[in-house]
Amino acid sequence: MDATAVTTRRLRVGLVSYAHVHAPGLLKTLATLPQIELTGLYDEEPGRGHIAARAHGTPFHRDLEALLERSEAIVIASTNADHRRYTEAAAAKGVHVLSEKPLATTLEDGRAMIEACRSAGVQLGTAFPVRSSAAVLSLKDLIDRGALGAVRAVRGTNPGRFPGGWFGDRDKAGGGAVMDHTVHVTDLLRWLLADEVVRVHAELGSWLWDLEVDDCGILTLDLAKGAFASIDCSWSRPKAYPTWGGLTLHVVGERGTVDVDVFRQALTHYDDRAGETRLAGWGEDLNARMVSDFADALLDGRPAPISGDDGLRALEVAIAAYRSAERQEPVVIAELRV
Amino acid sequence: MTMRIGVIGAGFAGGTHARACLGIHGVTVAAIATDPVEHGRKLADDCGARLEPSAASLCAAGDLDIVIVASPTYLHAEHAIAAARGGKNVFCEKPIALTFADGRAIVDECARAGVQLAVGHVVRFFPEYRRAKELIDSGALGKPALATMTRGTFPVGDARPWYLDAARSGRVVLDLMLHDLDTLRWWFGEPARVYGRMLGGSGGLDYALATVRFADGPIVHIESSWAEHSGFRTTFEVRGDVGLVTHDSRSAAPLLTQFPERSDVPAVMPAPALLETPYRRQLREFFRRIAGGEEPFVSGREALRSLGLALAVLRSAETRQVVVWTPPL
Repeated sequence: MDATAVTTRRLRVGLVSYAHVHAPGLLKTLATLPQIELTGLYDEEPGRGHIAARAHGTPFHRDLEALLERSEAIVIASTNADHRRYTEAAAAKGVHVLSEKPLATTLEDGRAMIEACRSAGVQLGTAFPVRSSAAVLSLKDLIDRGALGAVRAVRGTNPGRFPGGWFGDRDKAGGGAVMDHTVHVTDLLRWLLADEVVRVHAELGSWLWDLEVDDCGILTLDLAKGAFASIDCSWSRPKAYPTWGGLTLHVVGERGTVDVDVFRQALTHYDDRAGETRLAGWGEDLNARMVSDFADALLDGRPAPISGDDGLRALEVAIAAYRSAERQEPVVIAELRV
Repeated sequence: MTMRIGVIGAGFAGGTHARACLGIHGVTVAAIATDPVEHGRKLADDCGARLEPSAASLCAAGDLDIVIVASPTYLHAEHAIAAARGGKNVFCEKPIALTFADGRAIVDECARAGVQLAVGHVVRFFPEYRRAKELIDSGALGKPALATMTRGTFPVGDARPWYLDAARSGRVVLDLMLHDLDTLRWWFGEPARVYGRMLGGSGGLDYALATVRFADGPIVHIESSWAEHSGFRTTFEVRGDVGLVTHDSRSAAPLLTQFPERSDVPAVMPAPALLETPYRRQLREFFRRIAGGEEPFVSGREALRSLGLALAVLRSAETRQVVVWTPPL
């Protein structure tokens, strides 16, 4: 692994859509990672896209095909509902895809994305950056070397503020807090425990942000090997909260208990000018690590580290949660696959 | 006039309640009963109380006004009923009983005997939970939408095997989770349905999660753990549509001590730094109400409902189905 090898072969990557709240961070990451050559930005809103592209010193493409021509891979930061059409367009051109989460708004769309990439022979990755957290990696190591014994239960939380805009639009987002914030913890559970969710119970509410979609949700999951877990995916952080939200895991193993608070690394900033108190995070940039790992895998000819299948499995849990809440009873994941 | 107290049991609860009485004016701990008798020797000496030969003889004693039932949970019904029949007012440690039928029998017997019955849902006397209730009741949080409550301590069953015997304690749901189920009823009223999951429990590890749903909100999520190896910890957060309050006992400690010799033993029960402990406040309030002829703050009926809700969580955990909650009585 000499430095020249890393810098001479760069992956040509473009960003598709600036609709997602993570788009600015992703564009900055793509513009700065040494193994990536940023090929530009496409956005369905040209005004917004022009400004963003100029700010990052990269070309704006009014035409998606033009960006795909120049790219070996794209990162999709569109609304959830648009993931499918952008993925299919990329696959048709032989371009690899890293899609924001959730993978899609319906299982049908998610499966179509996976199939399009498989038949085109391109990689499909899902953006689950929390796997890149040093604290989560340490937890993974503790579990893998048996320090906790068998993990029996996990209480996970991923609360946040309402992100605003289309995140509250059922058609564009596919749902509310459950669609937005179930998938990160679900993915961590599957990956950390090397297990699959088999059953989902959920209670949902819409009481906080005056939305047509859910903003409160508590899920309880059963995993195949017998562990159970819960996820608080609520948009429960008020406007006055000092940060956007967070992600925590309380892991109960037969030989030990672990608390993970992924975004705990933060200064408390009491700001008289703004008249508020905020957390100033100093933790590592998880999105940058995730994109970097994805690019490295493609450059080495390896599969995407976090696949489209991983995205689909997490999406299934969110879909099952909506079904459970509607029926007021637990839902077996297998019934989604028939 | 002095109130004379008899205490059945000298374990965590018996010792805590008897010692809490020592600081209350006008109250004397006069008798202790334990099985075997000698188990109560130290506590009796500390309180200046006599050792009764049995719970039955204590309940029949002519010089006692109040009996504190702090025996293992599976014996509460036998002891509380004996105390009521002996004409004593009863303070019963929570849970009121292991089964709804036993709890009902205690409530009925106390009513029949015309004695007062209070149950030790002490969390209602913890200042952080009272402060939260004030904020909820005042409307400062708006309409409650979501609450999370956690309660954990180290595996207590290692030292007291009866805790881990479902036939004698009801395990983590009837022991720890009951506190939060009672508290959420006190905060929000009667829920609509519950869903629970619980570990089978081996080697002292016991842990449960529950989701309690109120028809039009809030959703309450509860974690109860005997796998908190560093000692007692409680947290809660309550989110209404205009505000959020959060609590973590670990960051609410006003005093932290460190010594070069490591002799710290994890706490079995929470011990907030307060001039008057919640345990004493709970008993003082009960004694005051008895003296004034008032209903207890946490009545037998109230405790019975909280027990019923805990049993509903257990039933949900066993059947792995949602259980609809219909408040009894």
